[in-house]
Amino acid sequence: MLSLLLIILTSIFFMGIVIRTKSLASGRKGPGILQPIKDIIRLWKKGSVYSTTTSMIFQIAPTIYFSSIVMAILMIPLGNQSGIISFGGDFVMFAYLLALGKFLMIISALDTGSSFEGMGASREALFSMLVEPAFFIIIGSLALFTGHTSFYEIFSTLNYGSYISYLIGALATFVLVLIAMIENSRMPVDDPKTHLELTMVHEVMILDNSGFDLGIILYATPLKFAMYGALIANFFIGAVPLEISIPLFFSIQIIFAIIVGILESFMARFRMSHNPQFIFLLTSVSLLIFFGVLLVLGKFI
Amino acid sequence: MDISQIALLTLLVLISGIFGLGFVPSKNRASIAIIVVIINAVLTSIPSILALTGKIQTASLILQNLPGHIIDIRIDSLSAWFILIINFTSINGALFGSGYLKSYQDLKTNIGFHWIFYILFHISMIWVCMFDHGIVFLISWELMSISSLMLVIFEYQKKSTLKAGINYMIQMHLSVVFLTLGFIWLYTETGSFNLSSLASVIANNHSIWIFVLFFIGFAFKAGFLPFHTWLPQAHPAAPSHVSGVMSGVIVKLGIFGIFRIISYISHDWFIIGEIILSLSVITALYGIANAAVKYDFKKSLAFCTIENIGIIGIGIGVGLIGIGKHIESLTILGFGGALLHTLNHSLFKSLLFFSAGSVYQQTHTRNIERLGGLIKTMPVTALFFLIGALAIGGLPPFNGFVSEYLIYSGLFKGLFLVTGISHVILLILSIVGLVMVGGISIISFTKLFGIMFLGQPRTELHNEPREASFIMLLPQYFIVIIMLSVAFFPQFYFGQVINIIDSTFTSQLTLSNPQIATTRANLITIGHFGVYFIVLMVIVFAIRFRLLRKRSLNTCETWSCGYIAPIPKAQYTGRSFARTFGNLLGFILIKRKNFDKISKTSLYPTSRKFSTYYFDILEKYLVIPLTKRISYILNYFQFIQNGKIQSYVIYGLFFILIVFIGTVFKLII
Repeated sequence: MLSLLLIILTSIFFMGIVIRTKSLASGRKGPGILQPIKDIIRLWKKGSVYSTTTSMIFQIAPTIYFSSIVMAILMIPLGNQSGIISFGGDFVMFAYLLALGKFLMIISALDTGSSFEGMGASREALFSMLVEPAFFIIIGSLALFTGHTSFYEIFSTLNYGSYISYLIGALATFVLVLIAMIENSRMPVDDPKTHLELTMVHEVMILDNSGFDLGIILYATPLKFAMYGALIANFFIGAVPLEISIPLFFSIQIIFAIIVGILESFMARFRMSHNPQFIFLLTSVSLLIFFGVLLVLGKFI
Repeated sequence: MDISQIALLTLLVLISGIFGLGFVPSKNRASIAIIVVIINAVLTSIPSILALTGKIQTASLILQNLPGHIIDIRIDSLSAWFILIINFTSINGALFGSGYLKSYQDLKTNIGFHWIFYILFHISMIWVCMFDHGIVFLISWELMSISSLMLVIFEYQKKSTLKAGINYMIQMHLSVVFLTLGFIWLYTETGSFNLSSLASVIANNHSIWIFVLFFIGFAFKAGFLPFHTWLPQAHPAAPSHVSGVMSGVIVKLGIFGIFRIISYISHDWFIIGEIILSLSVITALYGIANAAVKYDFKKSLAFCTIENIGIIGIGIGVGLIGIGKHIESLTILGFGGALLHTLNHSLFKSLLFFSAGSVYQQTHTRNIERLGGLIKTMPVTALFFLIGALAIGGLPPFNGFVSEYLIYSGLFKGLFLVTGISHVILLILSIVGLVMVGGISIISFTKLFGIMFLGQPRTELHNEPREASFIMLLPQYFIVIIMLSVAFFPQFYFGQVINIIDSTFTSQLTLSNPQIATTRANLITIGHFGVYFIVLMVIVFAIRFRLLRKRSLNTCETWSCGYIAPIPKAQYTGRSFARTFGNLLGFILIKRKNFDKISKTSLYPTSRKFSTYYFDILEKYLVIPLTKRISYILNYFQFIQNGKIQSYVIYGLFFILIVFIGTVFKLII
């Protein structure tokens, strides 16, 4: 329950920090921290325009996408506080739920009949397929490391003993940050601020959405960021009392947002054809984590 | 009633059904066939349900002329599970088929034969599950193959259909060759033709070779790599209700056979488990990668069947590793996942084939690039296809997730409990493989659904498509109900599956194992989770509805980035959707282009055609060259088949002579 509240709270200011960091890095003052969420609330108050080509799918997809992310957040713990739903192997559910949301967004893009949106949909499908193995290997390694298979049990028993385990933690954080960037279609693979539809991934898929639907799709992005940020925060929190873990959680989220902003300011987008290699590279890095875990556990026999 | 009487009764029903079908007018044939299938299904479901509750049904028929004289009939919980799946899918197939074949009503002889073979096909599959005696098993197996062949070549006027049918027939007979060899070996080893006598083959005393023979025989049916090449040809050629039943059930009989032999043979399973696990991961990846790039929707679905057989195989592999290492939780999760996925796949695959069949019936094309926008004219069919697509990708809250969850849990449990670096690496790579299979299946099914049902029609169709008739939709409602029951009450099905594993692998499992209770609790949570998810969706949707009610809602053209004259042909196609993916896996998904080059001498442009296609590399570079080599050698024996009746009579005479001499000198007993 607590983690859900904290994640929702984070999602309100997360994008603001990212945008602030970016504007500071480019020498501007930038909008207020709450500006992105104000934009989203403005969208919720608007009417909608639907394409004549679209069908029911287009209307229900954003709702299901948003709900799937909220349901995924329900499984995330905070240190030794369990998530609302927790069972052995819940991370499989977590990944598949996010995949469900993506499935619906992809077909809703195809529903508009626009070739630009089809292009974005095709890329989204490919990239999310490529990024999933990395996530599973990381969580699998952590599961092996701790001997448990649910988010809550993994994170509440995670403790660092040897030097290698620090390395594992650092690598896992690195990979998770990049997974979060890819899943949200941010900088190294996709540029949300680009002005050419041909080079977009996620932004082009939602060209035809408007009003409430666009609002919840846009709100899903900070929610997903905060969700991954919570996962990263859990690497460091461990079993500490609440008065330490909550400030720690927020500071990690803020650092994460600043890192995202810095990455976006100083990194160029890859060429579209290089993205698959880059994303698959994450899988090999996460295999390193797996071998590190095997080393720590002494399973290298 | 004794189960042997039931077996005879099914035969009686079959024969009277065949006669009945011969004499009724052609418009009543479908209903007769449905009635016969339902009677046989009810007859065989009763002992199956009894067997599932723990009362194994055994009986025997005495036939003087068969070796051993006694035909053992046996329905234990494993065969009961498969019999119930067969019955459910076959009834649905018959219902769907009765609507699907309406447009072929004028071809009178065709329809009659078709339904005769359909009822034969149904009951022969059940006989395969019932008979323990090798020869009767093989006869049923052969009846099943031949009747399904006749169903596949329903449109025998088409050359491609006949070709696919012959391909199917040959491969099925290769499978029978291996099975027959297996039974003969079994007989020489134990003196009995019964499958259950496999148990008396002493471990490590050829048992592995008998296993290999049977495994290859069954792998042909199941479609494991590289024995899969009949699937992508036979499924598109067959009428849709037949492809639905074939893909839903007939390939599962291969899985049934594999389970059977595993349960009887005692052997050190660990290495075999790892081999099956690796083979299955490759099968799944290969199947789904090919499914993602095909333009023919039925071919795509057929490749997807190969993928799901791979997933079931992963479960079997994990279970065997569990038996080999004496880790009960792996056996529970692996076999449990495999058996449950067998049920799930038979449900959503037949659903997909049925809804795809409705599309084919209305549009007369299997090429997705010609379709589009069908959700507006066929909304219910589109909804069913979407449900099937979501479920087959293993996405919650549908039933596919339940079985994939069990298999994932098995793989992760394996990571903890199996020691040895190479085995652990194999397991993590299997997890990666399974994850990628899930991802690629999202690509394939967003492509299929998006291109077929969404957007605008890409080409002008001959006639406006209409929603499928009620009789065709009815079985799809049944399937969806069962699917949702698996999704929301997985614990019930898991309990059944555990009973099956417990009674089939008695020595390998104790019911008090804590893993069962944990998994059951997790599955209950998953069921609840699905309910919460739906509640949340309804709430968000209600908020959206309330908010939008007060606001202005407009419609206009799709925003085409400033271009003002978009045409439907400019929409994204299935080929372009999967192109990047296809290029990424260019080493196994090889693309060929078909076009005429513009010659230097032609001055004026004329209309030209350009097409691309992907081929199955295993078929092209492994199976076809191999058969070419074999047929090269066999050509030297062609003089035997010289077309002269006289010489054929002489062959017969020679044969009789040999048998005569053999019996006189007691060479043949």
